[in-house]
Amino acid sequence: MRRLLTFSGAPQASMAARAITKGLWGLRRGPRYATAASIQPTQLQADDVSDTLMNKPLEKPDFFRVSELFSLKDLFEARVHLGHKKGCRHRLMEPYLYGCRLDQDIIDLDQTVEHLQQALNFTAHVAYRGGVILFISRQRQFVHLVENTAQGCGEYAHTRYWQGGLLTNAPVQYGPGVRLPDLIVFLSTLNNVFQPHVGIRDAAKMNIPTVGVVDSNCNPSLITYPVPGNDDTPVAMEMYCRLFKMTINRAKDTRRRMELLHGLAAPPTDAS
Amino acid sequence: MAGSRLERFGTVFTRVRDLMRTGVIKPSEKPIWYDVFEAFPPKKAPLYVKPHTRPYTKKQDAVPEIFYREDEVRAKFYVQYGTGPRPLDLSRTKSVSTCQRFVDKYTELRGHNVLEESALFEETGKALLTEGIMLRRRGVLPVSAESRDPVLELKLMDMLAEQQSVGDDSEERRETST
Repeated sequence: MRRLLTFSGAPQASMAARAITKGLWGLRRGPRYATAASIQPTQLQADDVSDTLMNKPLEKPDFFRVSELFSLKDLFEARVHLGHKKGCRHRLMEPYLYGCRLDQDIIDLDQTVEHLQQALNFTAHVAYRGGVILFISRQRQFVHLVENTAQGCGEYAHTRYWQGGLLTNAPVQYGPGVRLPDLIVFLSTLNNVFQPHVGIRDAAKMNIPTVGVVDSNCNPSLITYPVPGNDDTPVAMEMYCRLFKMTINRAKDTRRRMELLHGLAAPPTDAS
Repeated sequence: MAGSRLERFGTVFTRVRDLMRTGVIKPSEKPIWYDVFEAFPPKKAPLYVKPHTRPYTKKQDAVPEIFYREDEVRAKFYVQYGTGPRPLDLSRTKSVSTCQRFVDKYTELRGHNVLEESALFEETGKALLTEGIMLRRRGVLPVSAESRDPVLELKLMDMLAEQQSVGDDSEERRETST
């Protein structure tokens, strides 16, 4: 019998930078103890409700309707299809390229649309289940944008120097019982010296799925949901940040509404 | 919490699935993203790909070059007329550049009448002139004898000599008058 996918029983404290304003504390269910036989029916009912809450979104291919948030024309106008020059091309990005116009790689936007839809869908589902999402980008010009995006959707961002043991040595660096992120979103997979970000390898080591915007000079192999696209133009980055923020907020609002519908969470005090 | 730190073997999902099957990860500790990944797997499994160590030269380019038929017209246009006096403003998506107008008119005329290329080129230039777009040829400036400014012909020494003689004349006149 599947239990709820929350941290019942495990005394996991929050991550160092975790804000209480995240608002999901109330949804954490503590351990349940069945004392008498009369409690069984209501407990089963509660379990069924929570099961439907968790499983119902998985039945539809696009429960959160993320494909409505963007179109191919929007991607084109945000210059997502522009890659780097032919000499900078990574050999693993060749399947995602449409062609090469006067030595500049052009990314295939048909594939980008599909990949972006999958990535946003995955992000939405993880946010719906109360997962911790971490945004990473090592591009100095977009540090402020990424941090504001993370703040806007109530998630986390890491845009500074990545210390070696951040994920792999977290209990020592942050204290015992740290909760690691459940999804890492890379808005640029390279670091300042044009090498793959250490976070990609570390996330794969700690079994954390990743979503990443891969440009034509990046390595997409270890990223769970790569999104081939331009990561250097401000217009494109603003578009990605806006899309991620909208999906995460949408997912969290859906979750709150479903909980209210099923009467699991207490309604907010100012609603009455 | 138990885990497997071998990022080069299998994917994140296969490792967690196998750990759960063997019982290392309890069902209560199942990660949040596990069911979502199962329901919506990515197109390509995120396996680690070893980098090629030997210098490997590909026989044919896997990424095709993008060229259009109109590129020939564009190349000739730029060779003859250059980029134009004003810089190209790409921020507005709807704006049509002079070159694009030329290419559209060229294809239109080619559809109407069957002329050979250079004649068609001239025709397009004339058609655009009637619409009001000035096309200035680049690099060729007509230099003729009459058009040269006569000021450039004057030499400095002659000018000084003239000034001196004028000065002598005025002195003589003043002497005679007083």
